[in-house]
Amino acid sequence: MNIGASKTLSGSLLVLPAVLFLLAFFVVPNAILIAVSVLARMDAGVLQVGLNIDNYVRAFSVDLYWMVLLRTLRLGFAAAVVSAILAYPLAIAITQGGSFGRIVTLVVVTPLLVNVVIRSYAWSQLLSRQGALNWVLTNLGLAESPPQLLYTEWAVLIASVHVFLPFIVLPLAGAIGAIAPEIAQAARMAGANRFRVFLRVIMPLSVPGLAVGLSLVFSLTAAAYVTPQILGGNFSPLIGTLIHQQVLVLNDWPFGAALATLLIVAVLMTNLVFLKGADRLTRRWTAGVGA
Amino acid sequence: MTMSASTRLIVFVILAAIVAPLVVPVMMSVSDTPFMTFPPQGFTLRWYEKVIVNPEVQHSLWVSIRLAAVSALGALVVGIPCAIGLVRHTPPGRQIVLALVLSPLIVPLLVSGLALLQFFSLAGNRWTFFQLAVGHIVICLPYVVRNVSSSLLLSNPDLENAARILGADRWTTFRRVTWHQIRPGIISGAIFAFIVSFDDFPISMWLADAREFPLPLFLEVAIARFFDPSIAALSTLMIVLALVMIIIMEALLGIKVRRFAG
Repeated sequence: MNIGASKTLSGSLLVLPAVLFLLAFFVVPNAILIAVSVLARMDAGVLQVGLNIDNYVRAFSVDLYWMVLLRTLRLGFAAAVVSAILAYPLAIAITQGGSFGRIVTLVVVTPLLVNVVIRSYAWSQLLSRQGALNWVLTNLGLAESPPQLLYTEWAVLIASVHVFLPFIVLPLAGAIGAIAPEIAQAARMAGANRFRVFLRVIMPLSVPGLAVGLSLVFSLTAAAYVTPQILGGNFSPLIGTLIHQQVLVLNDWPFGAALATLLIVAVLMTNLVFLKGADRLTRRWTAGVGA
Repeated sequence: MTMSASTRLIVFVILAAIVAPLVVPVMMSVSDTPFMTFPPQGFTLRWYEKVIVNPEVQHSLWVSIRLAAVSALGALVVGIPCAIGLVRHTPPGRQIVLALVLSPLIVPLLVSGLALLQFFSLAGNRWTFFQLAVGHIVICLPYVVRNVSSSLLLSNPDLENAARILGADRWTTFRRVTWHQIRPGIISGAIFAFIVSFDDFPISMWLADAREFPLPLFLEVAIARFFDPSIAALSTLMIVLALVMIIIMEALLGIKVRRFAG
C-alpha cells in the first residue's frame, strides 16, 4: 500500500465518528423536520399524513403568521444595518492596535460570555418604565413623560444589536486590518479628507468583512428566541416564539416544522445573497486585482 | 487609517453603551427594597444569600455543569480525531466533511433543537440528559475541530514522521508527540465547548424537562417569577463569573475570547 492510499484510509477512519455523529444527530433530524412540513398537517387537531403544501399556504395566507414572518425579516435587517453603523468606528479603533485597540476588543467581546438571558434581562431593567434610562432622561429634563420602550420592537432591536454586535465588529476589523495602510495614506496625500478616505477607500475594501458580519447579525437576530421573548413580550413575537408556541403549546408539529423550514431558507438565502453580492462588488471595484 | 478625536469620542460612547446594561443589574442587586427600583436604595447583601441557598438555583447549576462537562468531553472524543484526519491525512471529500462539521453554526440552533426533539420523540427515547448532551455535542463540535485544527496547522508534522520512522506505532506517536504539540488547541477547544454548552438556551429549551433543567432556562423562568432584586443578584454572579473566565482565558491561558465570534 503506498503512502497516499494509506493517508486516505487513515483519514477516513479518523473523521468517520464525527461524520456519523453529525449525520445521525444533525443532518437526518433536520431532513426529517423539513419532510414533516410537507408530509403531514393538522386537521382540527388530528394528524393527517400525505403530501401537501397546506402548512406553507397557511403561513403566508393567515395575517397573524404573515405579520410575524415580516417582522422577523424587518428586525433582522434593521439589526444588521444598525450594527454595521456602530461597528465601523469600533472596528477602526481595533485596527489601530496598541492598548486602546486591545481595550476596545475586550469590551466588545466581553458580553459574548455573559449569558444571553442575563443580557436581555439587563436591557429590560434599563428600558422599563421605572428603569434606569427613564430615570436618567427624566432627571436630565430631557423627557417629561418617560417613553415606554419595553415590550416594543425598539426594545428587541436595541437588545439584539447589543447581543450580536461582536459578530460584525470582529469580521469587519479583520477586513479593515488587511487593507494596506499605504492605500489610505496615498488617498490622503492626493487630497482626500478623512471622511472621503473612509467613504472611497476603507468602506469599499471592507465589503467582504461587512458581508460576513451582516449575514451573521441577520441570521442570529431572526432566529433568536430569548431576546424577543424577554424584551418584546407577547406584543411583538418573532418566528422563534411562533415556532415554540405551535409545537409546545398547540402541538401542531407539521406547521412548526414548516415555519422552521422557512427560517432555514431565510437564513441560507440571506447568507448567499450577502456573500455573493459582496464578492461581485469587490471584483468590480478592484477589477479582479487581489480579489 | 488614523482616527480623529471625534471618532474616538464616538467609540467611547458606544463602549459605554455596551457596558452600561451590564452595570444596571449589579447596582440593583444591592438595593434594600423588596422590589426592583432605580436608583437602588440602601445597601444589602441578603439577595445574594437568598439565591445562593435556593435549592432550585443549586440544582440547575449542577445540571448545567454536568451537562457542559459531558458535552465538552464528548465533543473532544469525536472532534480531536476528526481534526487530525482533516489536517494530517487526506480523507475523501475533505471539503465536504469540513463543511458538515461547521454547518451546525449556520443552521439556526432553534431549528436544530426542534429537529432533534422530533427525532428523539420518533425514536421513543426518554433519556433527557443523554438527549441534551447529544444536542450540545453537535453545537460544540465546530469549536473543538476549529481549535484543534489551528493547533495542528501550527505544529510541525516532521516530528510525528520522525517518531514513526524511529519505530513508534500510531498510538504511541499520538500520545508522546502529537498530544503535546496540540495540547493548547485541545485546552482552548474544551473551554470553548464547555462555555457554549453552559450558555446554551435554544437547544436546551426543546430537550430539557423539569428534572434536567439547565441554568439558562431557569433564569428565563425566574425573570417572570421573581420581582425582588434576587434575580439581579443572580445576574451579577453570572456577570462576575463571565469576567473571571475572560481573565483566566486571556491572561492565564492566552486564549483569545474574540474567537467565539468566528
